[in-house]
Amino acid sequence: MIEFVNVSAAYDGETPVLRDVSLTVNDGDFVAFVGTNGAGKSTTMRLMNGLLKPSEGTVLIDGVPTSELRTSELARRVGFLFQNPDRQICCQTVREELMFGFAAQGRDDAEAARRVDEVIEQFGFDADAEPFLLNRGTRQLLALASIIVMRPPVIILDEPTTGLDFRECEKVMALVAQLHKEGTTVVMVCHDMEVVADYACRVVVMTQGRVVDDGPTFEVLRRADTLAQAHLVLPQILDVAQRLERELPACPSAIARAMTVDEMARAVEAAARKTGAGADADDAALSAATNKEGEAR
Amino acid sequence: MNGFLEYVPGDSFLHHMNPVAKLAAAFLLVIACFATSSFVVLALVIALDAFLALRCNMVRQTLGLARAVAAFSLLLALIAILFTPKGAVLVALPWGYIGTESIVAAVRIVVRLVACAVPLFLVFYVTKLTDMANAMCKVLHVPYKYAFTFTSTVRFIPVFMNDMAAIMEAQTARGVEFDGSFARKVRLMVPLCVPLLVSSVRKTNSAAIAAEVRGFNLRTRESGYKEYPLGGIDAAAVAASVVAVALGIAANVVGLL
Repeated sequence: MIEFVNVSAAYDGETPVLRDVSLTVNDGDFVAFVGTNGAGKSTTMRLMNGLLKPSEGTVLIDGVPTSELRTSELARRVGFLFQNPDRQICCQTVREELMFGFAAQGRDDAEAARRVDEVIEQFGFDADAEPFLLNRGTRQLLALASIIVMRPPVIILDEPTTGLDFRECEKVMALVAQLHKEGTTVVMVCHDMEVVADYACRVVVMTQGRVVDDGPTFEVLRRADTLAQAHLVLPQILDVAQRLERELPACPSAIARAMTVDEMARAVEAAARKTGAGADADDAALSAATNKEGEAR
Repeated sequence: MNGFLEYVPGDSFLHHMNPVAKLAAAFLLVIACFATSSFVVLALVIALDAFLALRCNMVRQTLGLARAVAAFSLLLALIAILFTPKGAVLVALPWGYIGTESIVAAVRIVVRLVACAVPLFLVFYVTKLTDMANAMCKVLHVPYKYAFTFTSTVRFIPVFMNDMAAIMEAQTARGVEFDGSFARKVRLMVPLCVPLLVSSVRKTNSAAIAAEVRGFNLRTRESGYKEYPLGGIDAAAVAASVVAVALGIAANVVGLL
């Protein structure tokens, strides 16, 4: 669990970029931090793994202030994927790159080698390939793999999909979703609201160094004032759902609550069936199914 | 906040001087420092450095730079102490001795490097690099290609420093602990040169392509609209620096301490 207690932070010691932030990231959460550039999202991430120490307040990881934890201990608890993989990659081969974290923490033993082999197989990497000759998407995957291989209980992703094409983005996010399903806490900074709506369970909205909203994804993304305050644009499918709800009072709730294209398609199909057959039960059943799916997400 | 060697806007006479005159005066002061062994002349140059730093409101940067140069020159001073056996014997060594003159030579190295580094670095803090490149083309008739190469080299220093800081941060996040002895730090930083080198090559390549597509090769001395006339203050600064060189040589000739 990561706790921020009245945290302020400044890079130059004078101008605060984060002001009096208090929040908790619980074990197993999938939290997305959203907001414009300069809102303080990346600073919040850097505070979470101790790269930056707060100028006021305390950041606690499992109840221990980050200022009291050594770098290696912080790295063991919180993995950090940077936006630019080229700043992270520093070894001559993929295998060495995956072993680097273990070596840095003095854990490069047989168990580490076994885990590296597993990850190489899982990702389909060429173990002897030169990392800098891989394409951008594969380098990002390698950077993610070098975090995953350490199995930290928390992973922080700073704009993980920047510079990736749709296929690469899907691949990275599917892996992250799988990790979350297996119990890893995921904290993500993301400008792509479609990705946020598709994967995050909770959204924290930041602007000018402050948290302006924090809650379940569906609820936060329906608050127009919050989105306007943080200059955020709704994912298209939510926009359509909200417009339908607004313009058509008889719009079934399953359509109004759809968060993905699949959910919307199913809801529209059910609504069409209902109109055709006049069966009320369909809508109720579909609403329940969609709600259940939304809760599970 | 400005970084290392990044232009700091201001209204001092140094800011208004011709870039070429500033560069020439700085190089003349460097020559003065290396042409003399006199502590008096070196002290005068340091006093001049302090005056210039004060006038262009750059005291903090100058002190930081002086500290960094002094730290670096300590290594050279140590070599001078150990391998320049001169003067009365203070400590005998298997390969020679440390003498009174060895100590004086070591101190001279530190003072000289600090005195000559400050004006050179101040030039970059008070001159826009584009002005530097354009003035070199207009006044010295240096081909733009070479002027651009020179200013790009300077411009990329803070960029690479930021890159290195970001790379070190990324490795810290992976559990690398950079605290500890100097030797340990160096050992840990060597592998980080790979990502720095890769990012440098990529950045340089991108910059070259960007320059090419914007007509870099078409640029001539006449392309810049801004003129860089030499004024009275420029002549005075260069003359003062020439006097410093002459003073340095004269002090050597008369054996001034």
